Amino acid sequence: MKMNAMDTEAGAIARGLRRRDPDLLDRLIEQYQHRLLRYLVYLSGNRELAEDLFQETWIRVMERGHQYDGQREFSTWLYAVARNLTIDYLRKKSPVSLDGLMEDEDHAPLEPADTRPTAWELVAQHEQAEHINAALAGIPAEYREAIVLRFQDGLALDEIASVTGAPMGTVKSRLYRGLNLLMGKMGRMQA
Amino acid sequence: MTHNEHERARELIALGSLEDTQQTWLGGHLRECVACREYADAAGQMVRAVRSLPVTADARLVRATQMRVRFHAARLREARARMWLVGTACLGVGLSATITVPLAWRLFAWMGQSAGVSRFVWEAGFAFFWIAPALVVSALLMARGTHLADQGRSIGD
Repeated sequence: MKMNAMDTEAGAIARGLRRRDPDLLDRLIEQYQHRLLRYLVYLSGNRELAEDLFQETWIRVMERGHQYDGQREFSTWLYAVARNLTIDYLRKKSPVSLDGLMEDEDHAPLEPADTRPTAWELVAQHEQAEHINAALAGIPAEYREAIVLRFQDGLALDEIASVTGAPMGTVKSRLYRGLNLLMGKMGRMQA
Repeated sequence: MTHNEHERARELIALGSLEDTQQTWLGGHLRECVACREYADAAGQMVRAVRSLPVTADARLVRATQMRVRFHAARLREARARMWLVGTACLGVGLSATITVPLAWRLFAWMGQSAGVSRFVWEAGFAFFWIAPALVVSALLMARGTHLADQGRSIGD
């Protein structure tokens, strides 16, 4: 029953995107605003860049909406679009892979996401959140991505594999190693 | 218990969602292994903390995005309408040419014979008759393009 509801909703979205229905796009932008921005912030490591990529992602969704077939969750397809855009942008700016982001010290998006004070006003109110953000920023981007998709956005493992284009085994390994690294960093911060 | 069992248990904990058999095995392991139980608690706390991170989009960003998307959608619609118009025009020209070319060819042949000119002359006349409109339009477009480029430069200066 739930599957049917999902199919119906995904199908309706697919049909609307083929028509480039502006009201549907408005609704989707509102519905996914926080999840998508959060994903982009942690993927790019930079709030300002994430906001630009947020807009570009929705323009890409509008342009290529006909490619969404409604067979899978819309969010999975949306994240894949956002991910490809981010990687394209970062490659154009500096030819590095997502896997190598954290090693490039001159690369602005590699900085922890607390470079823009207004974006972190809420974080500053919670010391633990500050620590977690710093810890997240300190782990390799592909681990951070897996953790954000799994634990913040609640994507299933096969959906993460679909978004990232990585095999299921790699996704599991990234989650395990990422979580270990995160706990290690948090442990050191709190010690 | 082997090292591999602890490793397997921790990997399962990190995945977050398990099949029934995995859940049963993990539950049994955690009942016996204090270290993995502590790991599970720490991982649970970590996951809850990650889930609670506040990153939200503001209304300004949402509105700006909606406006940009609508603007681009309108531009795409206009471009599509233009392409449709060009396509229809090409089709019309093609159809019209298919009908008129043989007729015009016969007309030029008849006029050539009536005027007593050589075949080469009336064929050249026929070719010019068909090419002339395209030449005129090309010349006009080039002139307009040059004019616009000059205007752009003078504005730039």
